[in-house]
Amino acid sequence: MRRRTVLLASAAAMAVGLSGCGSDSLEATGDLDEDKLTIYSAQHENLTEAWGKAFQEETGIEVQVRYGNDSSMGAQIVEEGESSPADVFLTENSPAMTTVQNAGLLAEVDGATIDQVEDRFVPSSNEWVGIAARSTVLVYNPSMISEDELPASIMDLADEEYAGQWSAAAGGADFQAIVSAILQEEGEEATAEWLAALKSDAKVYQNNIATMKAVNEGQSAMGIIYHYYWYRDQALEKVSSGNTALHYFRGQDPGAFVSVSGGGVVASSDRQEDAQAFLAYVTSPAGQEVLMTEDVKEYAVGKGDESDPALPTVESLEPPDIDPFTLDQQKVLDLMTEAGLL
Amino acid sequence: MLRGAAVLVAALCLLPLVVVAAKALESGPAEAAELLWRPRVGELLRNTVALVVLTGTLSAVLGVGAAWLVERTALPGAGFWRVAFVAPLAVPAFVNSFAWSALVPGFEGLGGAVIVTTLSYFPFVFLPVAALLRSTDPGLEEAARSLGLGPWRTAARVGTAQVRPALLGGLLLVALHLLAEFGALEMLRFPTFTTAILDQYEVAFDSRSGSVLALALMVLAVTVLTLEMLARGRTRHARVGGGAARRPPRARLGRGLPLALASVTALAVLALGVPAWSIGTWLTRTDQAYESIDLGPAVGSTVVLGLAAALVTTLATFPAAWLVARSRSRLAVVLERVTYLASSLPGVVVALALIALAIGFVRPLYQTAPVLVLAYVILFIPRAMVTTRAAIAAVPPELSDAARALGDGPARTFLRVQLPLMLRGTLAGAALVFIAVSTELTATLLLAPTGTETLATAFWSASSSLDYAAAAPYAAALVVLSAPLTWLLLRSSHEEPSR
Amino acid sequence: MSDLRLSGISASHPRTPVLHDVDLSVASGSTTAVLGPSGCGKTTLLRVVAGFMRPDAGEVHIGSDLVAGGGTWVPPEKRGFGYVAQEGNLFPHLTVAANITYGLPRRDRKDSARVAELLELVGLPGDHAGRRPDQLSGGQQQRVALARALARRPRVVLLDEPFSALDPELRVATRDAVAAALAAEKATVVLVTHDQAEALSFADQVAIMHEGRITQAGAPVEVYRAPTDRRSAVSLGEACFLAGRTGDGVVTCALGSLPVRGASGERDVDLLIRPEQLHLGVDGGAGCPAQVTRTEFFGHDALVELRLDGVDGALLRARTIGPLTPPVGSRVSVTVDGEPHLIDR
Repeated sequence: MRRRTVLLASAAAMAVGLSGCGSDSLEATGDLDEDKLTIYSAQHENLTEAWGKAFQEETGIEVQVRYGNDSSMGAQIVEEGESSPADVFLTENSPAMTTVQNAGLLAEVDGATIDQVEDRFVPSSNEWVGIAARSTVLVYNPSMISEDELPASIMDLADEEYAGQWSAAAGGADFQAIVSAILQEEGEEATAEWLAALKSDAKVYQNNIATMKAVNEGQSAMGIIYHYYWYRDQALEKVSSGNTALHYFRGQDPGAFVSVSGGGVVASSDRQEDAQAFLAYVTSPAGQEVLMTEDVKEYAVGKGDESDPALPTVESLEPPDIDPFTLDQQKVLDLMTEAGLL
Repeated sequence: MLRGAAVLVAALCLLPLVVVAAKALESGPAEAAELLWRPRVGELLRNTVALVVLTGTLSAVLGVGAAWLVERTALPGAGFWRVAFVAPLAVPAFVNSFAWSALVPGFEGLGGAVIVTTLSYFPFVFLPVAALLRSTDPGLEEAARSLGLGPWRTAARVGTAQVRPALLGGLLLVALHLLAEFGALEMLRFPTFTTAILDQYEVAFDSRSGSVLALALMVLAVTVLTLEMLARGRTRHARVGGGAARRPPRARLGRGLPLALASVTALAVLALGVPAWSIGTWLTRTDQAYESIDLGPAVGSTVVLGLAAALVTTLATFPAAWLVARSRSRLAVVLERVTYLASSLPGVVVALALIALAIGFVRPLYQTAPVLVLAYVILFIPRAMVTTRAAIAAVPPELSDAARALGDGPARTFLRVQLPLMLRGTLAGAALVFIAVSTELTATLLLAPTGTETLATAFWSASSSLDYAAAAPYAAALVVLSAPLTWLLLRSSHEEPSR
Repeated sequence: MSDLRLSGISASHPRTPVLHDVDLSVASGSTTAVLGPSGCGKTTLLRVVAGFMRPDAGEVHIGSDLVAGGGTWVPPEKRGFGYVAQEGNLFPHLTVAANITYGLPRRDRKDSARVAELLELVGLPGDHAGRRPDQLSGGQQQRVALARALARRPRVVLLDEPFSALDPELRVATRDAVAAALAAEKATVVLVTHDQAEALSFADQVAIMHEGRITQAGAPVEVYRAPTDRRSAVSLGEACFLAGRTGDGVVTCALGSLPVRGASGERDVDLLIRPEQLHLGVDGGAGCPAQVTRTEFFGHDALVELRLDGVDGALLRARTIGPLTPPVGSRVSVTVDGEPHLIDR
């Protein structure tokens, strides 16, 4: 009898406790709070958090972050439309930002902020601004393939001789940005052929890190990734990159594509001033310095701001002459779907 | 009124399906067919079916084999093994795949997926089969022996017939889990419908192509449900008449003992030892500054969300479970089965449907906890449904006659007689839901209020950067949180055969 | 004054009619047994009285209250009857004491004196109050179930085969204890059973039920002696039937011309002769000569199957004192004690 009572009582207590603490503790961990600046971030958590904290300290404006991926978050803002809870949107690559811009959901960025950023990282619309940049690289395992055997162009990976030797994180937005560069440089037919080779000859990993790790562990000789994953791991204990080296395609090859991470102010936000202040901070020298200090290793985009000294300069990468603001994301997705990658 | 409530719950569960179907067929069946009829979908179908068949078969073999060894043979330490083979339920599949990949480089593909999912899901078969073997009347088997069947043929003919309903129920759970599994398979580079739908979502948020794939997945789920119903058939496995309620005898293993011991030890090592060792190793690597990891908020929100979802889900199962257990009318069975459908969808699909509905119709609820809890209810209602139904069925309806005759109306009869008798069983269902919620990933990512982090999402973000050391504490916390609940499950499966 | 009155009750399970136009009335403080084979509808009848089931037609009165029929429906918990089912249906999660006091108002539930009193009434020791149902034997469970039913001092007690799940020995002891308790409470009782001995010994009135109809109701001796048809006769115990023809106060049959009440006119009838009415004498004595073809020995008595001389296939069964059973093949002479009962064809 007593045991029954205890059971019943604890069930009831659970129910009561829930209704009480349910709202409490969720609020504490962050039910959408109107008093905070809401950032939709597809950027890395450590980078976003570093920016958010520093901004909060400097301005006293409180920040809350919702994390996601480039494409899905961009589409989410479009779906939310005029009533989106987002005030600021941060991406890793430009296509998702372009999607939101084309939906007419971005406000023009303050001129002072735009002036802080190098011209090539700002779209002509001035509706968003570059906040960081990353470069395409080929990570390879020298014990599996020697330097002189490496392809001269990213397009050469499709050649028969490399079949079964290379890999990529084809499901991610990073890779899709690279494909959109290929599409712009090489045209639809060549891109489709290259993607078909990827489907049949390459291994697809979950993300850049998994790709790099696979190369490190010898499951794949080469992998297409962004540069900073490698530099970060090198700066730490080289657990996932100790057996690898980087190869830059250079020479305006689509494989030398430099992708722009963007920041924009959501037009429907009723905290325009704070949102603009956030972008101003991120692109300021202090904000750009975070790209170096936090083991982020992305390229700085601010005028005169230095990137991590371990990185080759953007100019030395000889990136292709691609307008990052007109990359056709939908076409890329269609081509990838046709190739059976999605 | 009961029927009305059951219809309401079923309708809520169907909501995501309607949204998905509408989205998939938005621009006409021709385009949907085009999106469906391509080599990639064939590949996904092959992968998904192969995984379900292989893991299902292996789980059946391991689950039934282990249950027989533990419950029907003189295997030493039965009590220990019984716990050991339920405990893997506390290790989420994606934690398990994390453990294996951290241990075995290049662990991936169909082989890896089958190994990891089998080790994570075979307890779903073990648990009900063991409970059944423990409680079934040895009279039938004795009758078979007296009719001239040897021990092996008795096991094959009578044993399998008796075990079949429990085995089928367990396999159904395994199959539905596999259809919706994302984390483990993504980590192991094994694309199925669910991982492909996630890819689609990542590139296009609410893509038509993703909805078409989800629709295909739903057809698979319906197929699985139908197969299970057909296999279950209309046969009756209950005890007829007041036969002997004796403990079944235990077979002596004789020279097979070392082999039996080796098998159960191997299974326990693979299912529990590997994740424990892997998580333990990463936990004790001191190169990571653990002070920087504060588990508090993640544990807090996981617990609160888990409890809320467990409570609401259990309540939601009552109407249909009651109707099915008491009347078995066709409508009741349909209402119950409908709730299984949405649960085979990946969390992301249900989440996207709810997002669309919230944005379109109940804007203030968008990105709030209630919508997330609703998603959990839709995703995990079958787990509670199975146990609630069993708990209700275990309460003899005559008892409510007795209570009515003693002056209690239906409501008081429920409170004073049925509820106390069902409590332990429904708690087990609630525990299953809690475990599922604490490991849910994709719906949580999409629907959680901004800034809310659960153990699963924190684990995922650390583990997808292959930062094993940072992921390990979250994995350990998940296991620790689920462990007492698996004990509860074991207890309740012990009690089921009370009548 | 009757405490329970059923009139014109018809009831059905989905698509199968079960009860047809049943009338029954139970006098205040009396006991009625409803006797019939399984499936005859007797449990359904009880469920209709209890209110667990709605009749399609007819009325149920408990005391002076209409509880079902004519647009009235009183739910079971408002009808105020006691109910004991075949397996007792004690609440497994409650102790004996909590089971017994279940139906009492909350303030009376702690009344241990009342529990002790009820336990004593049904012949159980008071220390059983703290036990759980699974610690009791079947007979003890039934007694607790009765105590639980009586705790609310109901006007009417309904017993649904309460002894059939018990071993024979336990059955008699439990039945006696229950009968004593019910008598002490002066309750009006309806007992449903398929056991004729139970019905005849337990009740003041026996109602025989067959295929959803009550074929006969009356005092046990009356229905046993003078059933209205062959089926009722058989349902109450061993019976032999002899074809005969009436004429002038006697019926002429294989046993000769026997005086029978109501044997007027000339018509073909059946004579009911209970085995204990047949007396076996030594061969060549008074009565009809016959040969023993089979015996069934029970100990205290035996059934002897006889073939009467001369008449084809006329078989009779007689009950004899066990130790005095004649061997198979021996010859006897048969006489009838008391008057056979005439059943019209």
